[in-house]
Amino acid sequence: MVKQDDNAFWTILAYLISGLAFWGGVGALADHFFKLHILVFVGLVVGLTAGLSLIWLRFIRE
Amino acid sequence: MAGDGFVPPSSADFFFHPIFGTNILGTKPVLLVGLSVVLISVFFIASSRKAAIVPSRLQFAGEGVYSFVRHSLGEEVIGPEFLKFIPFLFTLFTFVLCNNIFGVIPLLQFPTMSHIGFPIALAIFTYFVYHTVGIRRHGLVKYIKDICFMPGVPKYIYVILTPVEFATYFIIRPATLSLRLFANMFAGHLLLLVFTMGGKYLLTSTILMKILSIFSFGFAVGLSFFELGIECLQAYIFTLLTALYIAGALADEH
Repeated sequence: MVKQDDNAFWTILAYLISGLAFWGGVGALADHFFKLHILVFVGLVVGLTAGLSLIWLRFIRE
Repeated sequence: MAGDGFVPPSSADFFFHPIFGTNILGTKPVLLVGLSVVLISVFFIASSRKAAIVPSRLQFAGEGVYSFVRHSLGEEVIGPEFLKFIPFLFTLFTFVLCNNIFGVIPLLQFPTMSHIGFPIALAIFTYFVYHTVGIRRHGLVKYIKDICFMPGVPKYIYVILTPVEFATYFIIRPATLSLRLFANMFAGHLLLLVFTMGGKYLLTSTILMKILSIFSFGFAVGLSFFELGIECLQAYIFTLLTALYIAGALADEH
Protein backbone atom coordinates (compact mmCIF):
# COMPACT_ATOMS: atom_id res chain seq x y z
CA MET A 1 0.00 0.00 0.00
CA VAL A 2 1.28 3.44 -0.91
CA LYS A 3 0.55 5.00 2.49
CA GLN A 4 2.56 2.33 4.26
CA ASP A 5 5.54 2.98 2.01
CA ASP A 6 5.31 6.69 2.76
CA ASN A 7 5.18 5.97 6.45
CA ALA A 8 8.20 3.67 6.18
CA PHE A 9 10.16 6.23 4.20
CA TRP A 10 9.69 9.08 6.67
CA THR A 11 10.16 6.84 9.69
CA ILE A 12 13.43 5.49 8.31
CA LEU A 13 14.64 9.02 7.63
CA ALA A 14 13.65 10.15 11.12
CA TYR A 15 15.42 7.20 12.75
CA LEU A 16 18.63 7.84 10.83
CA ILE A 17 18.61 11.55 11.64
CA SER A 18 17.84 11.12 15.30
CA GLY A 19 20.35 8.30 15.73
CA LEU A 20 23.12 10.40 14.23
CA ALA A 21 22.00 13.58 15.98
CA PHE A 22 21.65 12.10 19.43
CA TRP A 23 24.75 9.90 19.66
CA GLY A 24 26.81 12.25 17.53
CA GLY A 25 25.80 15.02 19.91
CA VAL A 26 26.74 12.92 22.93
CA GLY A 27 30.09 12.18 21.27
CA ALA A 28 30.71 15.85 20.55
CA LEU A 29 29.89 16.81 24.12
CA ALA A 30 32.20 14.10 25.43
CA ASP A 31 34.95 15.37 23.10
CA HIS A 32 34.45 18.85 24.44
CA PHE A 33 34.55 17.59 28.00
CA PHE A 34 37.61 15.34 27.64
CA LYS A 35 39.42 17.62 25.14
CA LEU A 36 39.49 14.90 22.48
CA HIS A 37 38.56 14.74 18.79
CA ILE A 38 37.66 11.11 18.30
CA LEU A 39 34.53 10.54 20.37
CA VAL A 40 32.26 12.41 17.98
CA PHE A 41 33.04 9.83 15.29
CA VAL A 42 32.48 6.98 17.72
CA GLY A 43 29.17 8.62 18.60
CA LEU A 44 28.16 8.95 14.94
CA VAL A 45 28.93 5.28 14.32
CA VAL A 46 26.96 4.25 17.40
CA GLY A 47 24.09 6.51 16.29
CA LEU A 48 24.07 5.12 12.77
CA THR A 49 24.11 1.59 14.16
CA ALA A 50 21.25 2.43 16.52
CA GLY A 51 19.22 4.01 13.71
CA LEU A 52 19.80 1.11 11.36
CA SER A 53 19.00 -1.48 14.00
CA LEU A 54 15.75 0.32 14.85
CA ILE A 55 14.85 0.26 11.16
CA TRP A 56 15.69 -3.42 11.05
CA LEU A 57 13.66 -4.16 14.17
CA ARG A 58 10.70 -2.16 12.98
CA PHE A 59 10.45 -3.09 9.33
CA ILE A 60 12.47 -6.15 8.46
CA ARG A 61 12.17 -8.45 11.43
CA GLU A 62 8.40 -8.93 11.00
CA MET B 1 29.98 45.46 -15.74
CA ALA B 2 31.43 48.19 -13.67
CA GLY B 3 29.52 49.86 -10.91
CA ASP B 4 26.37 48.22 -9.68
CA GLY B 5 26.53 44.50 -10.35
CA PHE B 6 23.78 41.99 -10.10
CA VAL B 7 22.50 41.60 -6.57
CA PRO B 8 21.33 38.00 -6.18
CA PRO B 9 18.20 37.41 -4.11
CA SER B 10 18.86 36.40 -0.54
CA SER B 11 16.98 35.63 2.63
CA ALA B 12 16.67 39.38 3.12
CA ASP B 13 14.04 39.31 0.37
CA PHE B 14 11.81 37.33 2.70
CA PHE B 15 11.48 40.10 5.25
CA PHE B 16 9.02 42.86 4.64
CA HIS B 17 8.41 46.21 6.16
CA PRO B 18 4.90 46.57 7.55
CA ILE B 19 2.51 47.68 4.85
CA PHE B 20 0.71 49.94 7.29
CA GLY B 21 1.69 51.00 10.77
CA THR B 22 4.87 49.83 12.44
CA ASN B 23 3.40 46.72 13.99
CA ILE B 24 4.73 43.34 12.90
CA LEU B 25 1.11 42.30 12.38
CA GLY B 26 0.96 44.64 9.40
CA THR B 27 3.52 42.71 7.32
CA LYS B 28 2.72 40.88 4.13
CA PRO B 29 2.92 37.27 5.42
CA VAL B 30 0.55 38.00 8.31
CA LEU B 31 -1.90 39.74 6.01
CA LEU B 32 -1.69 36.79 3.62
CA VAL B 33 -2.55 34.40 6.44
CA GLY B 34 -5.60 36.55 7.23
CA LEU B 35 -6.54 36.60 3.58
CA SER B 36 -6.21 32.82 3.34
CA VAL B 37 -8.61 32.35 6.26
CA VAL B 38 -11.14 34.65 4.60
CA LEU B 39 -10.76 32.97 1.21
CA ILE B 40 -11.05 29.44 2.58
CA SER B 41 -14.10 30.35 4.68
CA VAL B 42 -15.85 32.12 1.84
CA PHE B 43 -15.13 29.31 -0.59
CA PHE B 44 -16.39 26.50 1.59
CA ILE B 45 -19.37 28.40 2.97
CA ALA B 46 -20.39 29.38 -0.56
CA SER B 47 -19.90 25.86 -1.86
CA SER B 48 -21.94 24.24 0.89
CA ARG B 49 -24.64 26.86 1.39
CA LYS B 50 -26.93 25.74 -1.38
CA ALA B 51 -26.11 22.09 -1.14
CA ALA B 52 -28.24 20.12 -3.56
CA ILE B 53 -28.43 16.53 -4.68
CA VAL B 54 -27.35 17.60 -8.13
CA PRO B 55 -24.33 19.71 -7.18
CA SER B 56 -23.44 22.99 -8.77
CA ARG B 57 -19.88 23.42 -10.00
CA LEU B 58 -18.89 25.25 -6.84
CA GLN B 59 -20.38 22.60 -4.62
CA PHE B 60 -18.68 19.93 -6.68
CA ALA B 61 -15.31 21.60 -6.21
CA GLY B 62 -15.77 22.05 -2.46
CA GLU B 63 -16.94 18.50 -1.98
CA GLY B 64 -14.07 17.26 -4.11
CA VAL B 65 -11.52 18.77 -1.74
CA TYR B 66 -13.40 17.51 1.29
CA SER B 67 -13.77 13.97 0.05
CA PHE B 68 -10.12 13.89 -1.00
CA VAL B 69 -9.03 14.72 2.56
CA ARG B 70 -11.65 12.48 4.06
CA HIS B 71 -10.90 9.39 2.01
CA SER B 72 -7.29 9.42 0.98
CA LEU B 73 -5.91 11.19 4.05
CA GLY B 74 -8.40 10.23 6.75
CA GLU B 75 -10.02 6.90 6.14
CA GLU B 76 -7.16 5.14 4.41
CA VAL B 77 -4.49 6.24 6.85
CA ILE B 78 -6.14 6.46 10.25
CA GLY B 79 -8.65 3.64 9.86
CA PRO B 80 -12.08 3.21 11.50
CA GLU B 81 -11.70 6.11 13.95
CA PHE B 82 -10.87 8.67 11.28
CA LEU B 83 -14.01 10.75 11.54
CA LYS B 84 -13.10 12.85 14.58
CA PHE B 85 -9.78 13.90 13.04
CA ILE B 86 -11.24 15.04 9.74
CA PRO B 87 -11.90 18.66 10.86
CA PHE B 88 -8.29 19.04 11.94
CA LEU B 89 -6.83 17.40 8.84
CA PHE B 90 -9.16 19.28 6.54
CA THR B 91 -8.33 22.66 8.11
CA LEU B 92 -4.64 21.89 8.03
CA PHE B 93 -4.70 20.80 4.40
CA THR B 94 -6.72 23.73 3.06
CA PHE B 95 -4.78 26.25 5.16
CA VAL B 96 -1.37 25.02 4.03
CA LEU B 97 -2.52 24.59 0.45
CA CYS B 98 -3.98 28.09 0.22
CA ASN B 99 -0.95 29.73 1.82
CA ASN B 100 1.43 27.79 -0.41
CA ILE B 101 -0.44 28.64 -3.58
CA PHE B 102 -0.11 32.33 -2.72
CA GLY B 103 3.47 31.82 -3.91
CA VAL B 104 2.44 31.71 -7.56
CA ILE B 105 -0.62 33.98 -7.53
CA PRO B 106 0.30 37.20 -9.37
CA LEU B 107 0.53 40.27 -7.09
CA LEU B 108 0.48 38.19 -3.89
CA GLN B 109 3.46 36.04 -4.94
CA PHE B 110 4.69 35.02 -1.57
CA PRO B 111 4.29 31.59 0.01
CA THR B 112 3.52 32.32 3.65
CA MET B 113 5.09 29.05 4.72
CA SER B 114 8.52 30.24 3.59
CA HIS B 115 8.68 32.06 6.93
CA ILE B 116 9.65 29.32 9.35
CA GLY B 117 7.41 30.59 12.14
CA PHE B 118 4.24 29.52 10.36
CA PRO B 119 5.22 25.87 9.71
CA ILE B 120 6.53 25.64 13.28
CA ALA B 121 3.18 26.80 14.64
CA LEU B 122 1.38 24.18 12.55
CA ALA B 123 3.83 21.46 13.56
CA ILE B 124 3.22 22.34 17.23
CA PHE B 125 -0.50 21.74 16.66
CA THR B 126 0.24 18.37 15.09
CA TYR B 127 2.65 17.53 17.89
CA PHE B 128 0.08 18.17 20.59
CA VAL B 129 -2.67 16.38 18.73
CA TYR B 130 -0.83 13.13 18.13
CA HIS B 131 0.72 12.93 21.57
CA THR B 132 -2.59 13.75 23.23
CA VAL B 133 -4.31 11.09 21.17
CA GLY B 134 -1.67 8.54 22.12
CA ILE B 135 -1.69 9.41 25.82
CA ARG B 136 -5.50 9.28 25.96
CA ARG B 137 -5.56 5.95 24.24
CA HIS B 138 -2.80 4.15 26.12
CA GLY B 139 -2.22 6.20 29.27
CA LEU B 140 0.93 8.25 29.75
CA VAL B 141 3.20 5.50 31.09
CA LYS B 142 2.27 2.86 28.54
CA TYR B 143 2.46 5.37 25.68
CA ILE B 144 5.99 6.45 26.57
CA LYS B 145 6.97 2.85 27.22
CA ASP B 146 5.64 1.74 23.84
CA ILE B 147 7.61 4.46 22.14
CA CYS B 148 10.87 3.99 23.98
CA PHE B 149 11.15 0.23 24.31
CA MET B 150 11.04 -1.81 21.15
CA PRO B 151 9.96 -5.32 22.17
CA GLY B 152 12.22 -8.32 21.74
CA VAL B 153 15.57 -6.65 22.32
CA PRO B 154 18.18 -7.58 24.96
CA LYS B 155 18.01 -5.20 27.92
CA TYR B 156 21.47 -3.65 27.57
CA ILE B 157 20.71 -2.63 23.97
CA TYR B 158 17.99 -0.30 25.28
CA VAL B 159 20.71 2.02 26.55
CA ILE B 160 21.57 2.80 22.94
CA LEU B 161 18.16 2.51 21.29
CA THR B 162 15.86 4.25 23.77
CA PRO B 163 17.33 7.75 23.46
CA VAL B 164 17.14 7.47 19.68
CA GLU B 165 13.49 6.41 19.75
CA PHE B 166 12.66 9.14 22.21
CA ALA B 167 14.41 11.79 20.11
CA THR B 168 12.64 10.53 16.99
CA TYR B 169 9.16 10.88 18.44
CA PHE B 170 9.59 14.00 20.52
CA ILE B 171 12.13 16.13 18.66
CA ILE B 172 12.94 14.96 15.14
CA ARG B 173 9.38 14.37 13.96
CA PRO B 174 7.98 17.87 14.61
CA ALA B 175 11.26 19.47 13.54
CA THR B 176 11.38 17.66 10.19
CA LEU B 177 7.67 18.25 9.67
CA SER B 178 8.06 22.02 9.85
CA LEU B 179 11.49 22.18 8.22
CA ARG B 180 10.36 20.20 5.19
CA LEU B 181 7.51 22.56 4.46
CA PHE B 182 9.58 25.65 5.19
CA ALA B 183 12.57 24.57 3.12
CA ASN B 184 10.50 23.61 0.10
CA MET B 185 8.64 26.90 0.07
CA PHE B 186 11.74 28.95 0.79
CA ALA B 187 13.82 27.30 -1.91
CA GLY B 188 11.02 27.46 -4.44
CA HIS B 189 10.41 31.14 -3.88
CA LEU B 190 14.13 31.87 -4.02
CA LEU B 191 14.38 30.04 -7.33
CA LEU B 192 11.60 32.13 -8.82
CA LEU B 193 13.27 35.28 -7.48
CA VAL B 194 16.57 34.34 -9.13
CA PHE B 195 14.99 34.08 -12.56
CA THR B 196 12.74 37.12 -12.35
CA MET B 197 15.39 39.38 -10.81
CA GLY B 198 17.98 38.02 -13.22
CA GLY B 199 15.72 38.78 -16.15
CA LYS B 200 15.06 42.24 -14.82
CA TYR B 201 18.77 42.87 -14.50
CA LEU B 202 19.45 41.65 -18.03
CA LEU B 203 16.93 44.22 -19.28
CA THR B 204 19.19 47.02 -18.04
CA SER B 205 22.11 45.67 -20.09
CA THR B 206 23.06 45.50 -23.79
CA ILE B 207 20.59 44.68 -26.56
CA LEU B 208 21.76 41.05 -26.79
CA MET B 209 21.23 40.62 -23.09
CA LYS B 210 17.77 42.13 -23.41
CA ILE B 211 16.88 39.45 -25.93
CA LEU B 212 18.33 36.76 -23.68
CA SER B 213 16.24 37.98 -20.77
CA ILE B 214 13.24 36.41 -22.51
CA PHE B 215 14.66 33.03 -21.55
CA SER B 216 15.06 34.08 -17.97
CA PHE B 217 11.46 35.27 -17.74
CA GLY B 218 10.33 32.18 -19.61
CA PHE B 219 12.07 30.01 -17.06
CA ALA B 220 10.41 31.95 -14.26
CA VAL B 221 6.99 31.29 -15.77
CA GLY B 222 7.75 27.61 -16.35
CA LEU B 223 9.10 27.19 -12.85
CA SER B 224 5.98 28.86 -11.47
CA PHE B 225 3.95 25.93 -12.77
CA PHE B 226 6.51 23.55 -11.35
CA GLU B 227 6.22 25.40 -8.04
CA LEU B 228 2.46 25.03 -8.12
CA GLY B 229 2.96 21.27 -8.21
CA ILE B 230 5.44 21.37 -5.33
CA GLU B 231 3.13 23.57 -3.28
CA CYS B 232 0.20 21.17 -3.65
CA LEU B 233 2.46 18.22 -2.93
CA GLN B 234 3.86 19.79 0.23
CA ALA B 235 0.39 20.57 1.56
CA TYR B 236 -0.52 16.95 0.90
CA ILE B 237 2.63 15.59 2.56
CA PHE B 238 2.21 17.79 5.63
CA THR B 239 -1.34 16.54 6.13
CA LEU B 240 -0.44 12.96 5.26
CA LEU B 241 2.33 12.89 7.86
CA THR B 242 0.00 14.37 10.47
CA ALA B 243 -2.47 11.61 9.70
CA LEU B 244 0.27 8.98 9.84
CA TYR B 245 1.47 10.24 13.23
CA ILE B 246 -2.07 10.17 14.59
CA ALA B 247 -2.51 6.67 13.20
CA GLY B 248 0.75 5.63 14.84
CA ALA B 249 -0.34 7.04 18.20
CA LEU B 250 -3.67 5.21 17.95
CA ALA B 251 -2.09 1.89 17.00
CA ASP B 252 -1.79 -0.73 19.71
CA GLU B 253 1.94 -1.10 19.40
CA HIS B 254 4.59 0.68 17.47
